[in-house]
Amino acid sequence: MYDFHNSALTPIQTILLNAAILSIIVVSLMRSERSLRDQSQWTMMALLVVFGVSGRILMEPLPNVQPVTVLVIMAGAYYGAPRALALAATIALASNVLFLGHGPWTIFQALGWGALGVVGASLAHRLIVDGELRVNLLAVVAAASGFAFNWIVSLSILLNAEPSMLAPYLLNGLVFDLYHAAGNVAFVAWISVPLGDMMLRHRKDPTRKSVRDLVPN
Amino acid sequence: MSELLKPASIVILLLVIIAAPGIQDRLSQEASRYVDDNESSHDGLPTKWDDKQVICAFFPDDYPHRDFTLGVTMIDKDGETLGVNEDFNRTGACVGGFDGYTGGMDFMMDSTRAAGGKLSVGYEVGEWGPFVHTIGSLNANSITGDFGGAYWNLDHNGATSMVGIGDLVMAEGDVISWSIGTW
Repeated sequence: MYDFHNSALTPIQTILLNAAILSIIVVSLMRSERSLRDQSQWTMMALLVVFGVSGRILMEPLPNVQPVTVLVIMAGAYYGAPRALALAATIALASNVLFLGHGPWTIFQALGWGALGVVGASLAHRLIVDGELRVNLLAVVAAASGFAFNWIVSLSILLNAEPSMLAPYLLNGLVFDLYHAAGNVAFVAWISVPLGDMMLRHRKDPTRKSVRDLVPN
Repeated sequence: MSELLKPASIVILLLVIIAAPGIQDRLSQEASRYVDDNESSHDGLPTKWDDKQVICAFFPDDYPHRDFTLGVTMIDKDGETLGVNEDFNRTGACVGGFDGYTGGMDFMMDSTRAAGGKLSVGYEVGEWGPFVHTIGSLNANSITGDFGGAYWNLDHNGATSMVGIGDLVMAEGDVISWSIGTW
């Protein structure tokens, strides 16, 4: 019996392979989105969950480089804080339970990403001007969010360690903060514009509120 | 400007990836200054190991190591058993007498080898570096009880380690110890 699957990949080969798979998923999701009716907000949220979970798992070889942070900030900006919180918690829970390991840190990750979704919602009017996404500002927000998210998740060590350990722990994790910030900037640069266009198509237009009462002729 | 961001983001990411190991070493050394060495971390160990590097593995009462069921066995770096300390109130083994190690993972692999396979280590390399799941045939994932899960917890000089074994920077006289933690 041939054992064609018994081949070990180098870390770089693994990253390239996973990036290729993620690209296939992204392209497929973008094509799927085109077949949706406008303002299918919940279906759009489901697509974002799939993208977030697969992105987290496939980019695992590069520590902290994953699309979830950018996704939740944009979800906050386009859909508001409640949906961004739901997206953050769903991605954290699903990816941890299914693949990455579930534990007390999951709640800190959900809170961290949820907080960034709230930040995205509060900056919505600055990030999206006349329907156009301000990519450079989003890149700055996303880079800062890389640090903020990691520091929120780092609070989880207080469950097992003295508060005095927090500062050296954060210092030790600065490289991972840099990975996160740099990864976020890359995701903003490469995917934020098409993703923003998709999200915009499925955003409820406040000028087209439905009218319950019939208007008499 | 936005178009410039695409190549710039790749360059930044590559720079971080290339520079990360060097930065991490410096940060780990810097961070270790803020953590006081617990002077008592050598308590109960053979005096000949004072100022030497030591690794200990402690096993839970419900999952004892078949070769270390009584107290803590002290194994010198050449594999010689120096004795058993039954005052530890736990069971397991310590291997010591080493010096010159700076990388936690190198030290762990070399020192546990001195125990002649009784403390063999199993680990996976994940996003955060090596993740130790098995020591001395005890896989933390196989431990069950009234808790969510179990893992091998790393202490460095008597305090919970801030980093995983792959990022741990060791100094002379350091004692690292592994014991089962739960969540």
